[in-house]
Amino acid sequence: MIDTGITLLRLLLGLGAIFFLGYALLTLLVPRPRDFSCFERAAFSFGVGALTLTLWMLALTWRGVPFGLAWILGPPLALAAALLLTPRGRRAVREDRRADRLRPPMALSGWDWLFLGLLTMVFLYALPRAALYPMWSWDAVATWGCKARIFFNTKGLDLICIDAHNYYPNLIPLLLSYLYFALGQVNDYLVNAIFPLWGALLLGLLYSLSTRVGLSRRFALGLTAFLALNGTVFIVHLYIAYADLPLAFFTLGGAALLYLWLADAAPRGSLTLAAGFLAGMAWCKYEGPPLAATLILAAALTLVWLRPAHWVRRLGQLTVPLAGLVVGYLPWRLFIVQQQLEIGADHIQGFYPHQMVQGIYHLLAGLVSPFYFGFLWPALALALVLAGKRLWRSPMLFLALFVGGNLVAIILAYAVAPTSAAEFPGYVRATLDRLLLHLTPVAALLLALGFKDLDQAPASDPGRGSQGLTAISNPRPEI
Amino acid sequence: MRTWCKTWRFWLVGLILGLWGLQVLWLIWHFGPEARDLAQRAARGSLGGAIRQEDPLYRWATTLAGIIPESATYVFLDDYAAGKEIEVRYYLAPRRHILRPPEVPASFLFYALHQEHAAFLLIRESPKPLGPGARAAMHSLAFQPVNLPGPGLTFRVDYSRLRWGFYD
Repeated sequence: MIDTGITLLRLLLGLGAIFFLGYALLTLLVPRPRDFSCFERAAFSFGVGALTLTLWMLALTWRGVPFGLAWILGPPLALAAALLLTPRGRRAVREDRRADRLRPPMALSGWDWLFLGLLTMVFLYALPRAALYPMWSWDAVATWGCKARIFFNTKGLDLICIDAHNYYPNLIPLLLSYLYFALGQVNDYLVNAIFPLWGALLLGLLYSLSTRVGLSRRFALGLTAFLALNGTVFIVHLYIAYADLPLAFFTLGGAALLYLWLADAAPRGSLTLAAGFLAGMAWCKYEGPPLAATLILAAALTLVWLRPAHWVRRLGQLTVPLAGLVVGYLPWRLFIVQQQLEIGADHIQGFYPHQMVQGIYHLLAGLVSPFYFGFLWPALALALVLAGKRLWRSPMLFLALFVGGNLVAIILAYAVAPTSAAEFPGYVRATLDRLLLHLTPVAALLLALGFKDLDQAPASDPGRGSQGLTAISNPRPEI
Repeated sequence: MRTWCKTWRFWLVGLILGLWGLQVLWLIWHFGPEARDLAQRAARGSLGGAIRQEDPLYRWATTLAGIIPESATYVFLDDYAAGKEIEVRYYLAPRRHILRPPEVPASFLFYALHQEHAAFLLIRESPKPLGPGARAAMHSLAFQPVNLPGPGLTFRVDYSRLRWGFYD
């Protein structure tokens, strides 16, 4: 019993260190972290903390320093403490503490309780399902969990004994192995708690962003529950230890920050923070760099199409998220070159038109399948129709371009996939739900923007988000 | 006209929400068996590592982990699609793992063992008859069977005895 308590305490301290590091870096990246809600700060802190800690572990391997808790945590935590002791860091902490004391109690209505109850039900199932069952799912055992185990045992990024996908980015395996070091042992069920945590942070971020773009609290909570309890994919990914949920988390953060920036509604420092999230996308999964690149491309196309004031200068400012993408992508690529790791080219073998036709069919079927994401994607189609001209006259266009462009990219990816005719349906079944998961939280945010006009609660409604922004509410381009 | 538009919009949204309500009920039904299993295991206290102990493959792999040195390489004969070799690789990490299909010809198998300096050959149990490579291994002096209970065959390999060239 005491052992279990100590193990849980070590896990909580390990996770707390990630938040602490991320929060300290947030005070460096953002002039006033208080401009973000507590949900956003929690999500951004964890994302930035996880990214920094794992890149640091890559740097340790590069320098030939064997992993150990002192080396993994010591320098980053010293840096975090130093950042929080600067005037800027002290002010951020002081403002946060003052805001916590002044926060009025939330008055929840019947619908709020229902949506909160549904969300609680999801996590009452997913958290013990994740943290009390050992890793069992395919990719967890074959790739992410296996690497984490090896990195812990060999105290470094030893990829000699594994020949499957060893060129994949390593944010997840390194984070899991860091938690093994925090626990002092390989405990491949307790560390799975990080996945429902990631899901909760994603949902908190979506809720907060929905209120930020003008939805009332009730609608925002409803939308959050609508994402979590629609189809099986999101719930299953809360406990199967795949890298797709973290990628979806980073994608939502990056897309939302860029959207707010395009809508002139972003707190100061958002573009730098977006760069951090794009770095997270690139370092999280093989699909991350192209996904992050399409975010930048969609933002550039939106600027060119809407031509807001200073649009050329703003195009230049997109080099900031581009730099983030490079920071997330380049260190691992250089490491691969240095270590002479073989890079798979399993997705570029040729172009197969018949697979493209089948891919279109499977994608459309997947989008409307209640088993995958329930009614979320059909609801998005409806929301886009309801949005009307607003879709191409406002920064909503950015999110629509990103989601639509990536749906097309999925079809193209299937058209070049080197599978036999017999294997192809199985290949699609094994990948489509995950590829859609990367986009679905962004689709939910787009849904929030589409349905915003239906949410007609008066501004004085206590359930209305206090951060509804004129710039976003205005259907005309204001960027 | 404006009122009519608003009405049909609300009807459509109402339809989506109604379908969502049904979806939530379906989800409760869908995840019901897993939630029940979780509750029953929690009541019995058989969670975490105890779940693994129920799996004969895991018990076999942990016994193998006591025999195969961490620096050694082993060749595993199995179908990738069965998903069992990834489990064995996971349990035996960081030992170097090489997968070959069960129907691998003797020449390819012997070549892999020799080339990779493999010290062990593991063949997972299968309803299908043994392939030519596995059959040849059973009759070769370079392979010593290790008597371990479990869902597979284990051989200690002296790869230095597999020194000839293979031109199959």
